[in-house]
Amino acid sequence: MARYGMVIDLKRCYGCYACMLACKVTNHLPPNVFWSRVLKGESGTYPNVVRQALPVLCFHCEDPGCVKVCPTKATYKDEEGVVVIDKNVCVGCKYCMMGCPYGARYTVPEWKSYFPAGLPLSELEQFQKKAWEEKSGCGVATKCDFCSDRRKNGKEPACVAACPANARIFGDLDDPQGEVSQLVKQGRGFVLKPEQGTNPKVYYLPPR
Amino acid sequence: MRRYLHFLWACFRLSFVGDWRYHAWMTVLTVIALTGLYAYCQQLVHGLQTTGMTDQVSWGAYIANFTYLVGLAAAAAMLVIPVYVYRNLQLHDVVIFGELLAVSVIVMCLLFVNVDLGRPDRFMHLFWRFNFPLSMLTWDVIALNGYLLLNLHICGYLIYSAYCGRTPSKAFYIPFVFIAIVWAVSIHTVTAFLYVGLGGRPFWNSAIIAPRFLASAFAAGPSFIILTLQIVRRFTAHYVADDALLTLRRIVQVAMIMNIFLLGCELFVEFYTDTAHVASARYLYFGLHGRHALVPWIWTAVLFDLLALALLVLPASRGLPALNLACVLSIVGIWIEKGMGLIVPAFIPTPLGEIVEYQPTVNEILVCFGIWAFGLLLYTVFVRVSVPVLAGEITAPGARPAAGAH
Repeated sequence: MARYGMVIDLKRCYGCYACMLACKVTNHLPPNVFWSRVLKGESGTYPNVVRQALPVLCFHCEDPGCVKVCPTKATYKDEEGVVVIDKNVCVGCKYCMMGCPYGARYTVPEWKSYFPAGLPLSELEQFQKKAWEEKSGCGVATKCDFCSDRRKNGKEPACVAACPANARIFGDLDDPQGEVSQLVKQGRGFVLKPEQGTNPKVYYLPPR
Repeated sequence: MRRYLHFLWACFRLSFVGDWRYHAWMTVLTVIALTGLYAYCQQLVHGLQTTGMTDQVSWGAYIANFTYLVGLAAAAAMLVIPVYVYRNLQLHDVVIFGELLAVSVIVMCLLFVNVDLGRPDRFMHLFWRFNFPLSMLTWDVIALNGYLLLNLHICGYLIYSAYCGRTPSKAFYIPFVFIAIVWAVSIHTVTAFLYVGLGGRPFWNSAIIAPRFLASAFAAGPSFIILTLQIVRRFTAHYVADDALLTLRRIVQVAMIMNIFLLGCELFVEFYTDTAHVASARYLYFGLHGRHALVPWIWTAVLFDLLALALLVLPASRGLPALNLACVLSIVGIWIEKGMGLIVPAFIPTPLGEIVEYQPTVNEILVCFGIWAFGLLLYTVFVRVSVPVLAGEITAPGARPAAGAH
């Protein structure tokens, strides 16, 4: 069984937000919710200033804090190491949102229109709302699941497929010859907040 | 069983009997509780978007009130310990009011947890699909419900015994009283562990939170009971000695000193070390990057706590006016410090450094008021019913009034 993980090459990422949009469209995310985000920051002083993009998503940790704290076992690691949520069991206590040290979880009280309040949902929005309720649901915790629907069809996650710079590489971390594990080993792969002891499975390659 | 149903019916009928002040008080509470229920119905229809909570600040006024109230419930132990462990005679006749307070407050706690759920219709999953012992939330479910049952049993048994005109059998309640003492400490400790165990929230990641919780609970809780006992004394025939109030004053005094001391320790560690982890505390006390919604609140709390402490250590607080003022200051100060001052800042900044402030909505505030009103309504009914029953004024048909329940 595979143990999925991802490598994000910060040298290649130029913060175009294509991953963010691909995720939003694929997973029918409602307004204000982005399972995959791109943070941007600046460092240094003039004239040596660097602007860096940092894509973030659920890191599908090996020892996830969110799974430990869930009172109803609604969130768990599946057999491929992907942290998922059973939408029919989650009570919406939001404790997992506190347990996640990366702020990668979201709750959606109600699927609202993108257009001003009072307007009915458009046809596309109605379709998206229905798809959202089938997959994730309202009032419960939601998050990135490495595009489980796409993976079932043998495709890679939408953010990986959409990246124009090939900054995201997805694959099996247990495959020693695989690109992901090779990059982690050779490219000085690091994770965010290693001190949290959650052992994320999304690695970054340094920006320079 | 028939007699028990008679007892419940007598209690129910008694809860509607009182003078105009009683009816006015109950009417006001009912109106507020129903307004809260209406606000909650709005929340049920539209989800938690009717609250000020966001993905960044995902716990707010509901959990803040919950945390404070757990302390209030635990404080019943501060009446029970002097009576059952140290055989304090002054508190002997009033200990049941502390236990009844614990019952009402735990009901409020459970309501606050329920209204915070995104899917309250699945509440029963918290019992059926139990992630025990891993999730601290499951420990809290056990602790709170257990404490509710213990206190319900103790109060219910004593009041029912008085109603039946028989002396309560010690074997039926004394063991539970001692279990409840340990349980009272555990409910607040477990609630503290709910926060402390989260590595991603450095503001909560301090071992001192649990002792601080207990110290503040033992200051705010007995303060609330001091005020309540004076109301009981004023409006019912139940006798409450001044010495009982002064014994509670000593408890509040020591607990408040501990609370301020522990708060000082926490502030020293946060600000003297001045690591990256101080961001939340800095936001709370001084504001961060121009955002400072909680600053006036926390300084009000600190001021109230310090004023209460000053009053409590002065001999003036042996008189009731100064003692009452100190109690009000303790209750409000600790409500702010332990509610909004402890829960909200842990989310600001977020683990990835973003700053999103929290402000409760009107709907959310109405729900909070509704739950408080319902809790007070419940407590008023409990006191209204228990006073005449324990005094032997209301008894089962054919029963003789028993002398003193406890």
